[in-house]
Amino acid sequence: MSLRELFHNTTLADRILFSLLIVLSLSGIAFIKEILSDNSTVHIYVDGHPAYILPLDKNRVVSVEGPQGKTVVEIKDHQVRIIESPCHNKLCIQTGWVRSGAVVCLPNRVVVTLGDPDKHKKTIDATTG
Amino acid sequence: MQQQDKYRIALLSAFALGLHGFENLLPSPIPWLRLGLANIVTLITLLLYGMRAAVMVTLIRVMLASLIAGSFLGPAFILSLGGGIASTLIMGFVLHIAPRLFSTMGLSIIGALFHNLVQLFLAYFLFIQRIEAILLITPVIILFGTLTGTVNGAVSALLMKNLIKYDQKVQNVNEIR
Amino acid sequence: MKSRQYVVDSKQVNTKRAVPASYLQSTVYCLLLLLSTLYCLLYACSCSPNKERIFKKDRILMDTLVAITVVSDSKDNAEKAIDAAFSEIEYLEKLSNHYSSDSEITRINRNAGISEVKVSYDILKLLDKALHVSENTEGAFDVTMGPVIALYDFHKKIRPDDGMIKKTLSLVNYREIIINRDRSTVLLKRKGMLIDLGGIAKGYAADKAAETLKKQGVRSGLVAVAGDIKAFGLKPDGKPWKIGIRNPESGDKEDDIMATIELKDMAISTSGDYERFFISGGKRYHHLLDPKTGLSAQECRSVSIITKEGAFTDAFATGIFILGPEQGVKVLDKLGFEGMIIDSQGKSHLTQGIRKKIEFKRTVS
Repeated sequence: MSLRELFHNTTLADRILFSLLIVLSLSGIAFIKEILSDNSTVHIYVDGHPAYILPLDKNRVVSVEGPQGKTVVEIKDHQVRIIESPCHNKLCIQTGWVRSGAVVCLPNRVVVTLGDPDKHKKTIDATTG
Repeated sequence: MQQQDKYRIALLSAFALGLHGFENLLPSPIPWLRLGLANIVTLITLLLYGMRAAVMVTLIRVMLASLIAGSFLGPAFILSLGGGIASTLIMGFVLHIAPRLFSTMGLSIIGALFHNLVQLFLAYFLFIQRIEAILLITPVIILFGTLTGTVNGAVSALLMKNLIKYDQKVQNVNEIR
Repeated sequence: MKSRQYVVDSKQVNTKRAVPASYLQSTVYCLLLLLSTLYCLLYACSCSPNKERIFKKDRILMDTLVAITVVSDSKDNAEKAIDAAFSEIEYLEKLSNHYSSDSEITRINRNAGISEVKVSYDILKLLDKALHVSENTEGAFDVTMGPVIALYDFHKKIRPDDGMIKKTLSLVNYREIIINRDRSTVLLKRKGMLIDLGGIAKGYAADKAAETLKKQGVRSGLVAVAGDIKAFGLKPDGKPWKIGIRNPESGDKEDDIMATIELKDMAISTSGDYERFFISGGKRYHHLLDPKTGLSAQECRSVSIITKEGAFTDAFATGIFILGPEQGVKVLDKLGFEGMIIDSQGKSHLTQGIRKKIEFKRTVS
């Protein structure tokens, strides 16, 4: 009737199976929490094709090659900006830090989009203005 | 013998149904994370009377439960049926090919695992086509399944021990040996 | 140890039992057969409906980010429809882009004061609508502002001096666009005149893209050509498309929404002094120029218009921005459009109809 008796009744295969399943499911949960907690990912597209998909919560600097040259994107403190770009008007750099939505370098065909952290944003399908 | 078996199966089904009903009364934050107490009966039937009896008990339990709940042929019914039959078949299969490998508790865990896997599979194909949602909840469901499977297995093992002491038919079993 | 032994016993007992296997067997088989037939029937009449989902794609067109969203039960259909809509916008861009050397508009501009130019249906329609807006805004919206706009450089922060503006203003007059519908031609009467469709082309493109989606069988979608948006149909959850209106005071924060509104088969556009601008000598120079002065219109900060056609929301938003709040509201009432005007003091003027539908996210005076 005691727990120890019960345990002795189990076979080696039982214990292996049990431990395996527990480990797998716990690691699966940890993995999912990783993906969910940074509810934003940064997508960088060049000429319409995805070049990078990055989490928002890790500071880093990446560069992509567009038709006009190299565009450099920085992720820091849950924000994104374009630091360098070969475009003529540098509007993309002037946009500065964005926390959601997108920052775009049109001449170099680079589009950087962010997932929406705000639950407000989640209900909005498009923005005018 | 035949008559007695029919009675036994009916009785076991009633037990399973009763446990299922009792379990439904227990509050739970998440609707689909169930204790699966009725599986205890399924497992015991499997061990005592074999595969066919266990399958029958499962079928009867699932059908009656869904008829009573009013969800017959609904999504819950399909999921219960799929999961229940699959877990019974797998447990019986494992018992058949490797009877000494797993103890009662191990069998219960296997049954729970496959019950959940088949339910997730059916849910994906029939109801929720979004694989991300399914993949998202799979680890949690497997975790809970393993734990409840262990608990159910422990209860089943204890029941078996006591049944050996008290049930006449089962005592006959020992005598034949 | 006991339990393991027991399991073996059970196996032995089963083989020796005198239960007529056929009885149990046939019952089980019958039940399974019955259930599988029922199951197949259910699957056949698909008790779980084909799930409709939202698909979204974006592309750079017309010098901006165009995002098209559709509701469909198949990814392939959605992609096909969206690509067709993008192609339509690409086609319109080729016709209307006055920076490109071989667009129809450039041909009209080059032949200003010389001869009429044969143009396609869409250009005729665009100019038709542009003139309609000009007439209804007392000339505040004027596509012949091309020469004046060209004097400003928003990247290099260059503004023209007053003398230059005065000289160029004489080239601005929407009445000197002569459209001949029978011959499908357009003539610009005087040399040096330039048509710039920047204030109406995006709205028109949104309309045409939405039409393309409908022709492809899409019954619910959203076309956003930057801030010129056309919505039709309802989302899978039965709700209309929800549009956010940017706060003109938001400065650098692109995601600052001041209000949201649901669109049911309508279009919306917003003109703001924060879209293209530079600050020089303490003054803000933005791209919404008043045809009377050649300078940036001063009375409003942002204007949002809602009506059925995107071409009109786009053009009227510009026109009413330049007209100012009081006159603007009158025009809206006269035409039966809904709209919101935020004036230079930050005060908001709303039409009667929009008050019930708009949802503000923060207190706006």
